[in-house]
Amino acid sequence: MAELTQNEKRLLAALGKEERTFATPLAGLLGATPEAVVQWAHLAQEKGLVATERIVARELVYTDEGNRYLETGLPETQLLREIRQGATVEDLRKHAAFAIGFGQLRKKGLIRVTGSAVEKIPGASTDADEAALKNPAPDDPRTKDLIKRGILAEHETVQHKVSITPEGLALVQAGLDLRAETGTLTRDQIVSGTWRDCNFRRYDVKKLPRRLYPGKVHPYQRIIGEMREILLTMGFEELYGEIIQQCYWNFDALFQPQDHPAREMQDTFYLSETLPLPQGYEKVKAMHIDGGGTSSTGWGGTWKEEKARQCVLRTHTTCLSIQHLAAHRDPPVKAFAVGRVYRRETIDTTHLAEFEQLEGIVMDEDVTFANLLGILREFYNRMGLDSVRFKPSYYPYTEPSLDAEAYVEGIGWVEMGGAGVFREEVTAPLGITCPVLAWGLGISRIAMLRLGLKDLRLLHKSDIQFLRETPVITDAEGGI
Amino acid sequence: MAVITLPYRYLERLTRTDRKTILEKISLIGSDVERIEDDHADVEFFPDRPDLFSPEGVARAMRGYLGIETGLPMYRVRPSGISFTVDPNLASIRPVLGAAVIRGVSFDDESIQSIMSLQESLHWAVGRGRSKVAIGIHDLDTVTPPFRYIASPRSRRFVPLDYCEEMSMDEILEKHPKGRDYAKIVRDFPLFPLIVDQDNHVLSFPPIINGERTRVTIDTKNILLDTTGTDTRAVSVAVNIICTAMAEAGASIESVSVGGEDIPTLAPVERSVSVKECSRLLGIELTAPQMAMLLHKMRFGAEAEDTETVKVQIPCYRADIMHDWDLFEDVAIAYGYDRIISQPPPTYTVGKPHAVLVRADLVREVLCGLGYLEVMPFTLTSEEIMYLRMQRPEHPGVLRVMHPISIENTIVRTDLIPLLLEFLAMNRHRELPQRLFTVGDVVHHCTTHQQAAGVSTHPEADFSEAYATADALLHELSLEYTTVESADPAFINGRRADIMAGNRKIGMFGEIHPAVLNGFELEHSVAAFEIDLRAVSGYHAMPGTP
Repeated sequence: MAELTQNEKRLLAALGKEERTFATPLAGLLGATPEAVVQWAHLAQEKGLVATERIVARELVYTDEGNRYLETGLPETQLLREIRQGATVEDLRKHAAFAIGFGQLRKKGLIRVTGSAVEKIPGASTDADEAALKNPAPDDPRTKDLIKRGILAEHETVQHKVSITPEGLALVQAGLDLRAETGTLTRDQIVSGTWRDCNFRRYDVKKLPRRLYPGKVHPYQRIIGEMREILLTMGFEELYGEIIQQCYWNFDALFQPQDHPAREMQDTFYLSETLPLPQGYEKVKAMHIDGGGTSSTGWGGTWKEEKARQCVLRTHTTCLSIQHLAAHRDPPVKAFAVGRVYRRETIDTTHLAEFEQLEGIVMDEDVTFANLLGILREFYNRMGLDSVRFKPSYYPYTEPSLDAEAYVEGIGWVEMGGAGVFREEVTAPLGITCPVLAWGLGISRIAMLRLGLKDLRLLHKSDIQFLRETPVITDAEGGI
Repeated sequence: MAVITLPYRYLERLTRTDRKTILEKISLIGSDVERIEDDHADVEFFPDRPDLFSPEGVARAMRGYLGIETGLPMYRVRPSGISFTVDPNLASIRPVLGAAVIRGVSFDDESIQSIMSLQESLHWAVGRGRSKVAIGIHDLDTVTPPFRYIASPRSRRFVPLDYCEEMSMDEILEKHPKGRDYAKIVRDFPLFPLIVDQDNHVLSFPPIINGERTRVTIDTKNILLDTTGTDTRAVSVAVNIICTAMAEAGASIESVSVGGEDIPTLAPVERSVSVKECSRLLGIELTAPQMAMLLHKMRFGAEAEDTETVKVQIPCYRADIMHDWDLFEDVAIAYGYDRIISQPPPTYTVGKPHAVLVRADLVREVLCGLGYLEVMPFTLTSEEIMYLRMQRPEHPGVLRVMHPISIENTIVRTDLIPLLLEFLAMNRHRELPQRLFTVGDVVHHCTTHQQAAGVSTHPEADFSEAYATADALLHELSLEYTTVESADPAFINGRRADIMAGNRKIGMFGEIHPAVLNGFELEHSVAAFEIDLRAVSGYHAMPGTP
């Protein structure tokens, strides 16, 4: 049963004694207005504890004029008394009751007027009208006439009758806590111990509160955080680095030929800035031209220093991996980076010109392609993707190369990222002698699946209501 | 990426098996099936395998992979007796010429379309948009050998393909659609490349357009292939891929003599590879005969020289085999990626987060605690947002991208507050108060570092709130700081401060100027702060940057 307010309880207690009474006496009893009592009674009625009845009474009351006539008699009565033998209209006109009384007497046929002479009809009397005035009865035509004349008025009064129901009575008999309610628990009450006597106002637990929005990490950042956590627990060191990269580190050191289509202006954001080439760049140059003494043929053709010096917005985070390896040639190295990368793409719901890429590398004696598959499987499994498969692919700086696909409930096989073993053309010029396993992954795709987004732009140009309403736990079915 | 149309009936005839078997396995040789239609499939192949850019090439590979026909495909080349001379003046223009005669072709509209699309795919993947390699295909019977590849005056006139009147080569660059598309490759040369026959009829103006005279039709029986370019290897790969595809379709190939050398030979290249190295790379134990068998499946010639070495014959169309590991990848594909037992590496290391990003996370923790909601704006923005609306002068270290995609993405961000104001503008209709923060990269000159910024908007947002919030964050980050009045025009005069660490400015806070609010169409006051996280203890200088 819903909670009772203090006033409802007081009403019930009063009704426990009276059982059935009108609002007005109840109001007196409870020290409130009858209107307030009626309101409490209605609330209690909704809970089935009392019944209310609206009683409408009609009452006849005297108008001011009516009250005068009670003392003086009706105007026609007064006038009739004045009519003696030989009375004339002119005589009667002097009387105050003439204006109304004369007309009434003629209308009721109690006088006869001949010329100016006025005489009573034998037996003329207004006694019945006077009786109707003194004791009005609603159905008496004389009374109705008095109402019409504005001597009597009809008044409507509404009375509320309140009665307690058996449920209400049972509640009263079970005992009601009638102490005053406490709203805010005060320091005084706590310290003095008077809280023991407090009757705390009860709240309705069904009524929803106003929604509060806590300060939160962006849901996409949270997903990035989860992936970082996975890689850290797998023993990887985190990398962070420059957005602005020379073509040398972004492309050349990764054995992307200088005439490769991906290096063209329509795919990459170029800057007019240049940076000097690092020491030992000649080995990379030789590798491009003729394989630099390895089993590779190289790309042939020419290799231009000025192309390598030019700066771009990094097109992948692999440029961070390769620089880390160049500075840490001794095995083992396990490193990862999550960073924003840039592609000169036309922006739409599924393509952005900048997006986050996750990249991982493992360099050690004797690590193998089979180990790469193993580490990928482990990584995706930890992200909640249990079914993973691999198929051949192509990336300019890895050989063998593969694409990983994961099975997502409700969608099917989804491409999750690329991977491979760094080519010797990449590692040899930098003096790296162990195999390097590498993989990359576009995180926004996973964020889209996890957050149920239809438009990738929402991650970066967000309606803050989306951020406020997205809960911190968003795991969908299927484990994405 | 190259999407190749594979008509089922033709593919089935060439592969000698049914479409279902082919389509089931086709992605296992390295491809993505884009569309399955009633009579054909569209399949995307990777740019390192231009030999798969035709139904003939795909059928050849699938016969091997499915075990229908394995090992090295043999192509016979007879001399045609036809010769080319090459003008030495072309040395600095477009020096390399490859050519071949292809006899006994039987074209219909579909197979002409097929060879044209192979030609276009090769222009893209090998030819780098015709600059490195351009291919011309001619009806041999419309011209008379010997042929000459010459550097011609630009005024030379002939009827280009798809036209019926003569035009000068200069006019072609100006008026012909192909001329306009590719003019940039030759425009700066004094003389233009041209191929003519004995009677001075024009076959081709490479890399722009063929002559109308040698147009290939369904009546064409014999083809002359010309391939010109700047790189010998690329030119010969293009010739080999077209010739072997046509041979797969039933034509016979004849060599021509170019400067005294008979080309093409369509001969394989030999490479000896180590079984142990292959096993170590892939993580699967293989013997030499097993490895040779797997290579046969991928259409290589291969035999075990001894237990440790396999001698491989690489077919002339496999342009991608540059290194021994390229062959090992083919071994892995033939073995099947799904059969390789995956196993994480035993390498033991300890995970370590990057100090910079650890600090960024701490900033997040503090600002979330203060009730701020994180947003992640783009790093590319515009001068309009970053400076103009902020009433600020341009940052001296701002970087402009050379070819922006839109006026909204012209520069790399140097500050964060403007992007947060842009966010508030986007969310004007949402409930107040709004408190937003972001932490992330900004770029000054060519150097990336992290900053953090926050904004708060509601009717009572003011200087005191900005100060208190910045102070709380700085305190949590153990940053000793002082404040000085600032002159930043983005804030109200008298309600703005620079945050100083010693003599270095590391941030600012204040109440955003009403003119800036007007610029962003904001209707309530905004308290804002921004801090350079390089000032935080333990923020390392970035390693590995030249």
